Amino acid sequence: MITRRIQYEMAGRVVGPVLMNIQRMQKKLKGKKKPKDNPYGPPIEAVKKLKEIMTLYYLQGRYADGAVPVAWVTSGFPVEVLAPLGFFSIYPENHAALCGVSRVVVEMSDEAEKVGYSRDICSYARTDFGCMLTEKTPVGRLPKPDLLACCSNICQTVLFWYRSLAAHFNVPLVVVDTPFVYGEAPEHHLKYVKDQFEELITVAEKVSGKKMSEEKLHKITQEALTASNLWGECLAAGKAKPSPWTGFDGFFHMAPVVTLRGHKICTDYYRLLLDELNDRIAKGIGGIKDEKYRLLWDNLPIWFSVREMSDLLANNGFNFVAATYTDAWASAGRQIDPSDPIGSGARTYQHIILNQDLNNRLNLMKAMVEEYSVDGAVLHSDRSCKPYSMGQIDLRDRLAKEAGIKALVLEADHNDPRSYAREQAENRLTAFMESFG
Amino acid sequence: MRKEYIEKQKKAGRKVLAVLPIYYPKEILTAANIHAVELWGPPGPPKGPSAGRVQSYICAVARNAVSFFADGHAEMADGILFPHTCDSIQGMATMLPDFGGWDKKTFNFIHPRGDRRKSLEVFLEAELRKLAADCAEWSGAKLTNADLMEAIRLHREIDAIRAELLDKRSRLSMNDAELYGLLRRGEWLWPEDHLNELKEARQKITSETVQKAAPLMITGIVCEPMSIFKVLSDAGAYVAADDYAAIGRRVVKKDAPAKGDPFKVLAELYHGAPPCPTRYAHQPLRMEYLSNLAKSAGVRGIIIHEVKFCEPELFDIPAIKAAFAKLDIPLLYLETELEKEMPGQAVTRLEAFVEIINAKKESEGKS
Ligand code: SF4
Ligand code: SF4
Repeated sequence: MITRRIQYEMAGRVVGPVLMNIQRMQKKLKGKKKPKDNPYGPPIEAVKKLKEIMTLYYLQGRYADGAVPVAWVTSGFPVEVLAPLGFFSIYPENHAALCGVSRVVVEMSDEAEKVGYSRDICSYARTDFGCMLTEKTPVGRLPKPDLLACCSNICQTVLFWYRSLAAHFNVPLVVVDTPFVYGEAPEHHLKYVKDQFEELITVAEKVSGKKMSEEKLHKITQEALTASNLWGECLAAGKAKPSPWTGFDGFFHMAPVVTLRGHKICTDYYRLLLDELNDRIAKGIGGIKDEKYRLLWDNLPIWFSVREMSDLLANNGFNFVAATYTDAWASAGRQIDPSDPIGSGARTYQHIILNQDLNNRLNLMKAMVEEYSVDGAVLHSDRSCKPYSMGQIDLRDRLAKEAGIKALVLEADHNDPRSYAREQAENRLTAFMESFG
Repeated sequence: MRKEYIEKQKKAGRKVLAVLPIYYPKEILTAANIHAVELWGPPGPPKGPSAGRVQSYICAVARNAVSFFADGHAEMADGILFPHTCDSIQGMATMLPDFGGWDKKTFNFIHPRGDRRKSLEVFLEAELRKLAADCAEWSGAKLTNADLMEAIRLHREIDAIRAELLDKRSRLSMNDAELYGLLRRGEWLWPEDHLNELKEARQKITSETVQKAAPLMITGIVCEPMSIFKVLSDAGAYVAADDYAAIGRRVVKKDAPAKGDPFKVLAELYHGAPPCPTRYAHQPLRMEYLSNLAKSAGVRGIIIHEVKFCEPELFDIPAIKAAFAKLDIPLLYLETELEKEMPGQAVTRLEAFVEIINAKKESEGKS
């Protein structure tokens, strides 16, 4: 345990930073590459810091089990409650997305399919089952969980997914169940979520062997709130014309607010990013060089194809300036009140976009169209994410009619390239762009 | 017949409530004099102008239901109840009222998830009370605790006979098509009428084993297309153990006290249902339940008959495969999409499966 703890601390405080410095120096020595003739503005400098933070996070994670309590959590889980008890949190969804970008999903999914997981379940889940079964991962190693923590606010898929994880790892599974909000949440629904927050603390204390510190809880909640607000401001930078970055950049830069909110490193990162975005706005630097049309993205990104899709759009002067997906970690977080972390946290986590009715989503999208001066919307109909995709055909029609913009439903999958007809999708996007004249 | 029957219920002054799968507290509806009609699809491809409103990778139960309601085929219903079964029904429950297709009364019943714990107990009871109050207000019934206790008693009687018919399957002189036809009429008959039919069927339980075909177990969401039973019977098999969510998984084998707080009784019964992934059953416990069911019915094979794209079910497939491999019970995995008839390829696979299990039995007999 002590050796493990030393390894863990060393990875986080010494080895990681040293490796990062070496990498930085190597890059400097190589010299700056000549900017390629591409449709993008100058690259966002903060990306380097982002890579460092995420590399360090996964590096430290390799040594976390046995050193500190480890929780595997869903992306919408109230981790602010776990952090004061010293938990190191792993986000299987974020890890699966990383596998998507690293293009190892097919291999991992095949492994999951071999034992009987269907290709019709969420590709994030399949990816992680594959990694779990083979113990292979692009990040070297994932720590084994002491606790599985699942919140039903993003989908019910995670409930089924985490039940399977619980059976595999034979560790406690704690569920924060957030009744879906149709219109207004009735009083007993709000109370239910709040009661579960209290119960969660008891379970987490037992697993970690520590007592909850109110002071730490307040501090971490405040830090998470600040990070969410800063992330919101970064996204809002997209309202500028031209937008200082692309929505595709946003998909990558959201990693810290998902995985590290509540930690100072995350807050510092978004300060850095925001400064850079504001600087770009002041200088009139755009995410793409020639921004003619501004688009809104709905649903998860297509992780394995972000670059190609981005190129296709940027080459034609189209930029995604807003996305419902990246916004989720900004708009929900803003409602947290650090003086009432449990009560406000319960309300916040119940009211995230995916846990509310379609009217709410339509209104959010219409507001985004307005605020970000959007000309068109692409709704990614994601074969793997049924809760996010159901209703999109109606959303497209409503949005076109009520917001007066062009809207396209694009069939794909967020992580599995086998469910993506690239040529067909590109043809549809091209035809969509041509419709703008 | 179903249509005329429902019309008669309306004429008798009952409100008709279309209910989406799977679990809902029927007792509350009965006590509030509301006639529940369950909607599993309906079978066949979605038709009409709303057929394209839901993507093809969403299960047929949800896809078909959206077009059925949105294209006006449920005009007989006065309201809909959406139990919060899965993401697809959750989506439907906002699509139809929010974006068109249903403008009459809508009820939601939220299933609590996670282990049984204090917060869940409190929530479930509150949810049951709210549904009861809303139903009473809608139907105009004066819903008393005594009414609810009486409805609980009635449904206990129904479940007890349904359980008996399923448990004594080998001694029941009905074929699968007849039995399942009867059990599924419970989806739309007024409970007392259903009880009378069940009582009649109970007379057909004999003291001797009458089913001579190969005993099978079947698990899945719903037995559609119903012609699966004819295919099995023609191939020389019958369903000796049932774990369809629409059938066996809804039979609560638990007595209820004659007196007490009906909401506490309903909550207890809720927890007494067989394990189902849509209600968050622990996987190892569910596997134990399925293994015991298979062993007690002496089945020679198991068919996993799923509705394509049904995520709640799909996550348990590896565990079921492992559990039945351990028992050395052959397994057939079959997916259908609420077709009207069993697709030819599925028929061939079912026939081949029955042949395999019969051959296995023969070779075991020889060795
Ligand atoms: S179904 Fe959708 S929301 Fe749920 S884990 Fe998969 S991608 Fe995320
Ligand atoms: S078949 Fe499965 S996914 Fe479809 S409505 Fe039923 S439980 Fe939900």
